[in-house]
Amino acid sequence: MGFNKPTWMPGRERLAPPTQSKRLVELRARREEHTRDRLAARQLEGSLLSLAALLGSEVKDSDDNTVGKLRDVVVRWTEGAPYPRMTAIVVRAGGRDVLIGARWIEMRPPASVRLRSSRALARAFERHPTDVELAHDVLDHQIVDSEGTQIVRPADIYLALIDDSVEVVGIEVGIEALLRRLGPSFLRGRIRPQQVIDWRDIASFAPARADGSEGRGRRSDIAGQPGAGLALGEAAPNVRRFRPSEVNEALREYKVRNDGDPE
Amino acid sequence: MTAVDAPPEPKVRRRTRLPGWLKGLLGLLAILGPGLISANAGNDAGGILTYASAGSQFGYRTLFLLVLITVALVVVQEMCARLGAYTGEGLGALIREQFPLRSGAAAMVLLFIANAGLTVSEFAGVGASMELFGVSRYIAVPLALVGIWAVTVLGNYSRVQRVFLVMGLVFLAYPVAAVLAHPHWGTVVSNLVWPHFLHTKAFLLLAVALIGTTITPYMQFYLTSSVVDKGVTPKTYKGERIDTVNGAILGDMVSVFIIIATAAAIGGTGPLNSVSQAAEALRPVAGAAASQLFAFGLLGASLLAATVVPLSSAYAIAETAGVERSLARKLREAPVFYGLFTAQLVIGALIALLPGNLVELVINAQVLNGFITPVILTYILILANRRSVLGAAANGPAFKAVATVCVVVVGALSALVLVQTLAESF
Repeated sequence: MGFNKPTWMPGRERLAPPTQSKRLVELRARREEHTRDRLAARQLEGSLLSLAALLGSEVKDSDDNTVGKLRDVVVRWTEGAPYPRMTAIVVRAGGRDVLIGARWIEMRPPASVRLRSSRALARAFERHPTDVELAHDVLDHQIVDSEGTQIVRPADIYLALIDDSVEVVGIEVGIEALLRRLGPSFLRGRIRPQQVIDWRDIASFAPARADGSEGRGRRSDIAGQPGAGLALGEAAPNVRRFRPSEVNEALREYKVRNDGDPE
Repeated sequence: MTAVDAPPEPKVRRRTRLPGWLKGLLGLLAILGPGLISANAGNDAGGILTYASAGSQFGYRTLFLLVLITVALVVVQEMCARLGAYTGEGLGALIREQFPLRSGAAAMVLLFIANAGLTVSEFAGVGASMELFGVSRYIAVPLALVGIWAVTVLGNYSRVQRVFLVMGLVFLAYPVAAVLAHPHWGTVVSNLVWPHFLHTKAFLLLAVALIGTTITPYMQFYLTSSVVDKGVTPKTYKGERIDTVNGAILGDMVSVFIIIATAAAIGGTGPLNSVSQAAEALRPVAGAAASQLFAFGLLGASLLAATVVPLSSAYAIAETAGVERSLARKLREAPVFYGLFTAQLVIGALIALLPGNLVELVINAQVLNGFITPVILTYILILANRRSVLGAAANGPAFKAVATVCVVVVGALSALVLVQTLAESF
């Protein structure tokens, strides 16, 4: 570094073109929207599961005995399905991490986990290459857009009951969710989506730095590596951030399309 | 630096009659080169006044301490550079990913406090240097606050930054001043290799201040992010490691010379209580202009750091929170980033305007940093030990042992002084 060159300065380097926020909504419309969102958020508490609230909560068996504490939710992200489906949960029981298959688990919004049988099959935890551990690999890790610009870190991950399975539907990127997690634990069960990115907008896992060796398909193989995070399929300005009412609507639509029966 | 199109000099060797000190300085610059210049950029108001105070209060006694601190600094900065090169992520991002959310948030709160303290001392540096020029700090500090904010947020900062950087080069006169002041070299060497500790509270407090100003928490975040930003990869890390280690050693060499020069000039006269006293150390170089020269350098160094420190912590905290953090964004698009930046500037300027001794304020801010440093170092150590983060580049057993000793010693010293201070105040 010579003194004719400026030293590196934090915040100076990412010279992405500023996003054009052309939202000139009138004040009244905004307030109406706000009321609608609050209502929708309350409704969503009955249908969305929050990963942040689930983590650390007690897992009970059918006889109401505590089995252990939930450590992570394992999903499988296959090419066909738009949303990854939960395959198992990781439970900390007796000082050890065990894996319990999804078919033994019953989840209820906003954050209750129960085993269907008192003799659920648990096996020692072992990572499978195609598995994604939501808390370990996704929560708090970076999300980059299609141009490699890091935009946000997920503060929460939303799951929803769809048919008989639990699917990951969206990622919360609002700062309020982060503050909620920092606050007292009784607040964590309150689901108040602020800015949600639809999981369908996510293309793949990506390394911390574009390494030139673009893997094909969804690179679940690098999930959990230091620095690895999610990559969006589009440039940041084109990614839609859903508000609670829009999440509610999208969720209902998806459920209808899935089985023609909204609950 | 537009010498590119200057015609080639005729190859006639003219005997230029440079003054001896200038020859010495140029020779030193040619050897140490750009590394020294960038290392010197780390010498902010807090650093200069703390080293000067060490020299004035305890003579050469703190030199050995500085050798130890340099070892710790090299170890810590090497870990930071390695973390940046191997993970491609800044320290803030790594803390968010690798630690529970609440511990990460705690680290960020501490970083904010430490950096707000540093910003206070930079504004105090602005005030003190302008007072040497005869301008009241009640005019200088608000002007600096508005100027820094406007230039950074609205203008083109990198040009102005260059000016500050060049102004700070004044402090490269310290090594020359140290030589010209004819210190007792025997005492200097003996103090460098053999500890001369004093078991007084003042000495311990200054030791913590020296740690806080040399191994600043913000520097570690800054270094990691700049390594990432330069695009250093594991393959190119070797060169980066040499740069980092050299930078740490060179920066501390300037510090050692500040202590020697001040000790030779005003050593043993008790704690430093005004900036003009500190300027005395430059008298062998600048003669009657020492005070102006010192003020000029201090102003540049303070203005540079008063911008970089708040920017750096706003960047680190926004990085950890995972929100927008770029000067390329508009105010409204990155409210957290700009909000934190502005808050630190305002807090810093306001506290620097409170009546009281500016030098004392600066040194207290370094003590505050000294208390927070070991906590941040613990995070860095844990990250660099983890194989899940660095893989094969994680700390080996020997490095781990050395690094752990560094962190524990720094932590124990800070804890001791903290407990003492608290016990006395209740």
